[in-house]
Amino acid sequence: MSAVVSPIRDPLIYGHKSYHDITEDLVSPTERTPSAPWVIGFILSISLLGFGLFCIAWTIWHGIGTWNLNRTVGWGWDITNFVWWIGIGHAGTLISAILLLFRQKWRTGVNRAAEAMTIFAVICAALFPGIHVGRAWVVFYFFPYPNTRGPLWPNFNSPLLWDLFAISTYFTVSLLFWYTGLVPDFATVRDRAKGMRKKVYNFLSFGWVGSAKHWQRWEALSLVLAGIATPLVLSVHTIVSFDFATSVIPGWHTTIFPPYFVAGAIFSGFAMVLTLMLVVRKVLHLEEYITLNHVESMNKVILATGSIVGVAYLTELFVAWYSGYVYEQFAFFNRALGPYWWSYFGMMFCNVISPQFFWSRKIRRSVAWTFFLSIVINIGMWFERFVIIATTLARDYIPSSWSYYSPTWVEIGIFIGTIGLFFTLFLIFCRVAPVVAVAEVKSILKSSGDQYCGPDAIHHGHGHDDHGHDHSHEEHAVAESVKEEVAAVVEAVEDDLKKLEGIGPKVEAALKKAGVKTFAALAGSDTNDLQTILDEGDGNFMGNSPESWPHQARLAMEGKWDELEKLQDELQGGKY
Amino acid sequence: MNQFTFTGRLKTSLIIMMVVGLVSMGLTWIWDDEIHTRFWSNYLHNASFFTGISLMAGFFIAVCITAWAGWYAVFKRVWESFSMFLIVGLVLMAIMGLGVYFGWHHIYHWADPVAAVEDKIISGKTGFLNKNWYLFGTIVIVGTWYFLSSRIRSLSIAEDNDDNDTDFAKHRRMRLYAAIFLPIAGFTSAAMVWQWIMSVDSHWYSTLFAWYCGASWFVSMICLTIMSLLYLRAKGYLQQVSVEHMHDLGKFLFAFSIFWTYLWFSQYMLIWYGNVGEETIYYRTRFDHFKPLFYANLVINFLFPFFVLMRNDTKRKFGSLGLVAGVVFIGHWLDYFLMIKPGVMHTAHEHLSHGHDAGGHHDMSFQLGVQMPGFLEIGTMIGFLGLFLFVFFSALSKASLVAKNDPYIHESLHHHV
Amino acid sequence: MAHTNRNVIYGLYDDEEIMLTAIKEANAQHLEIMDVYTPFPVHGLDPLLGLSESRLHIAGFIYGLLGTLTAFLGMTWIFTKDWPVVFGGKPHWSVPAFIPITFELTVLFAAIGMTFTFYIVCGLGPGVTNEVLDDRITDDKFCIAFDESEVDSAKAKSFLSSTGASEINKKILS
Repeated sequence: MSAVVSPIRDPLIYGHKSYHDITEDLVSPTERTPSAPWVIGFILSISLLGFGLFCIAWTIWHGIGTWNLNRTVGWGWDITNFVWWIGIGHAGTLISAILLLFRQKWRTGVNRAAEAMTIFAVICAALFPGIHVGRAWVVFYFFPYPNTRGPLWPNFNSPLLWDLFAISTYFTVSLLFWYTGLVPDFATVRDRAKGMRKKVYNFLSFGWVGSAKHWQRWEALSLVLAGIATPLVLSVHTIVSFDFATSVIPGWHTTIFPPYFVAGAIFSGFAMVLTLMLVVRKVLHLEEYITLNHVESMNKVILATGSIVGVAYLTELFVAWYSGYVYEQFAFFNRALGPYWWSYFGMMFCNVISPQFFWSRKIRRSVAWTFFLSIVINIGMWFERFVIIATTLARDYIPSSWSYYSPTWVEIGIFIGTIGLFFTLFLIFCRVAPVVAVAEVKSILKSSGDQYCGPDAIHHGHGHDDHGHDHSHEEHAVAESVKEEVAAVVEAVEDDLKKLEGIGPKVEAALKKAGVKTFAALAGSDTNDLQTILDEGDGNFMGNSPESWPHQARLAMEGKWDELEKLQDELQGGKY
Repeated sequence: MNQFTFTGRLKTSLIIMMVVGLVSMGLTWIWDDEIHTRFWSNYLHNASFFTGISLMAGFFIAVCITAWAGWYAVFKRVWESFSMFLIVGLVLMAIMGLGVYFGWHHIYHWADPVAAVEDKIISGKTGFLNKNWYLFGTIVIVGTWYFLSSRIRSLSIAEDNDDNDTDFAKHRRMRLYAAIFLPIAGFTSAAMVWQWIMSVDSHWYSTLFAWYCGASWFVSMICLTIMSLLYLRAKGYLQQVSVEHMHDLGKFLFAFSIFWTYLWFSQYMLIWYGNVGEETIYYRTRFDHFKPLFYANLVINFLFPFFVLMRNDTKRKFGSLGLVAGVVFIGHWLDYFLMIKPGVMHTAHEHLSHGHDAGGHHDMSFQLGVQMPGFLEIGTMIGFLGLFLFVFFSALSKASLVAKNDPYIHESLHHHV
Repeated sequence: MAHTNRNVIYGLYDDEEIMLTAIKEANAQHLEIMDVYTPFPVHGLDPLLGLSESRLHIAGFIYGLLGTLTAFLGMTWIFTKDWPVVFGGKPHWSVPAFIPITFELTVLFAAIGMTFTFYIVCGLGPGVTNEVLDDRITDDKFCIAFDESEVDSAKAKSFLSSTGASEINKKILS
């Protein structure tokens, strides 16, 4: 069952892998003792996490007053970080869901890690509103549950509550999707393990055996979850944008926010996936699975979404001028030239200018450049949220309440702590589970392995390239057969028009030469046109009249041979 | 049958459609008010609608080329031919621009020289809303779209002769043009939407509006693709376009109907929630005077395709798919009607009542052709559709139907959902 | 699940294409296949085994609908009957403001319901241990298994060896 793959496509798996090689390469990192880089990374991240926890404890003990938020700037680093993390959490579901629906095979190399990243990023994000409410111990007041306060319900009309619903839903669905994908791979780990490890993975793999019916349901589930996760991922950042856009604050109240936030989220999510995966592929030696082709594809997504974000920035600027609304105009003037001008220019440079380097194929395929730019973009997207939040709030309607905001060490510490949390979780994940989806990579091996497609192919499916010189003869033959098949399909549809009364071999040849090759075409033709074909054709067709041909052809096309026969009995030489 | 024959019979039918259109437009002109508001608004409505559809076809080919998509290769000539209408769209919209230039119509409030000075809000926008930008912007921008689309198309046709090019040089060149086309279309289509359509409501603005219009065009383009393919198949052409390809188009129709609704909701909800008078007036007018269309818009363009196409088998049955495509096509045409008519009518009422009723109070009692499309609107639409299809079919007949040397043709022929 | 012991005879294939050909052959010989185990979802397998299409998506639709109704009717009741609140001068029954949460709960109910349904109908879940026929099935082997109570073991054996199985074994599944 070799799949049909265009010869123009590059392979996605290199190294002439067999199924067993794939298992070996992808599972063994979980079986080895941790490498030195891993241990160093883990110690570093867990120290950052420790510092973050200390700052959170400090905040809760001393109160929100330890932050530099003031009456004017009520949202600062906290909400900036929240939106930044949520944005990063968008790539996972996007890669898994939208790329699954669009059948982009390169997703299999990175989807598992990206989904894990999503879940960890959402955990980091959810932390901020939790602390920011001040009394973190009664944070459950958010939820609608029967209570002794009335019952007093939360305000379902508030975008902040929508956000709670969106993020909890997103977290839950991502977790289910990710874990269900992991179950077969945990089974693979289990079947290679011994002793205690086997018991642990037996528990994690839920008793998976790989039965045909299970796979069928597993695929159905993945597809439907992908289908509903696609609008979900759009809705999450849309609702985050509603937090701002439903207000009447100039610079926040603008209708483009929903799609523009979503594009920005995908943009930053892909940047973070690249930052992580470029390290992972190096440390775990996965260069043959996360190839430069993967990197290039992701860079293209970054270029596209970066440009969409650019269009949105310019749209906002333009419409601020166009609106003729002085407060709106001031808001944008203030962003670009006010006290926070540096963050506006940081945002413009990092998000709009820097991805434009990816127009160059060389840079798209350069690991060093990609790594550098992915970090630049991460920084830029942080600036974007800071611009939207702090810059806008610092200069509101009343100049007497204008203010300036800069964070305290506690706020910075909490942010650093979430980075520590993110990397700690990710490093644990790399030890526990295969970072690349084992079963899914196996399922694309025969269409995207380099022994099946691309210049080094040795097994010939339908599609392939004939660059090779050693076996060019054989390849040429295959290429010819492909061409013939296409030609056959293109030209296949021809009917025996001689079955109709009044059409002989010569008339048929004339009709076919004129492009009328099937009963269907004949049935749809006009008798005058047919007469023209006859008149202009080679040979003398004076005795033939096409008046009944479309009628006969229609019957033939619909398979009504009995009726056709009856009609032909009545006809005389094809004439009524 | 790899060659489409533009038969005399088909030509005759399309010419009849165009005649119906011309007669309707003529009658509209005669029965119109003294500034021919109904005539010009119908003209703008259809010209921008069909130009946008052809832009989306060219744009989407560029997207597919850039994304290395393969499934569409078997019928890509249809989209290529759609995009060839852009040159006609250029002429149609340039006529609209000449109208602004020489004051043939009063569709746009900002084009009124008095308003441009006296109306404070409009005078602030004259840097963008002016006759030069409109006419020359349209010519240059639509011209660029046409140029890039026709480059892609001619490379694609030239590729048919490259039987032995295993390096796909032509396709690689198409990638370059496609990559250039994407950002250009992304930036300039917004500018054109603001000029052509959003500026009808000269005081109002919405940052999302351009993307919303784009989504509407895109869905219409998919509908027209489905209907054209079904027609061509019934005539015995493109038998290679299988139920699998139609299923994918059905998915696109389904998904982008939801996407359109998402944009509709985002724009509506934010304006409703923010409750700023300058913004809500847009929906207030539509809600008060265009209520049936306001709701019909959502029912036809969201609920109907959503519930019908949710199941897989309705996407795979040509009857149900064709029905949805037809209805949603009309739905988006109505959407454009709803975007253009209220603003135009407001401007016309102000213009006509200038002097004797300066209070701006105007009669908004029910009028066919204003609150609801009448026979003349439908006739005009039939005319423009005939023109569009005429250009489409003649472009289609100029090249083979299947691009046999497309690098993805083989994948496309073996396409499975 | 019935807890009777089953004597299983099974063959391991090295490639899914050989296995698919073998299954076609088994169908031709009217051999009742107990189950097929593979390391990844093999396309074209379901129709050969005569598996009917999964109905999970129908279940998902019902769960989703339940979520829609819960959210929408719940908010309607709370804000019009139980505890009406005026916000921003909007009516109590503010449909546009209800849509985000309605959408989220639709997705949430559908996803949770479907995933749990999946694990329950497959008999999988935390703490479940299913005996595996061979440890390499989750690695690179494709396995066709026959139940000896349904198929004559000699016939099964000759079938497996003639269709290219690289290994043939027996195992008792409890």
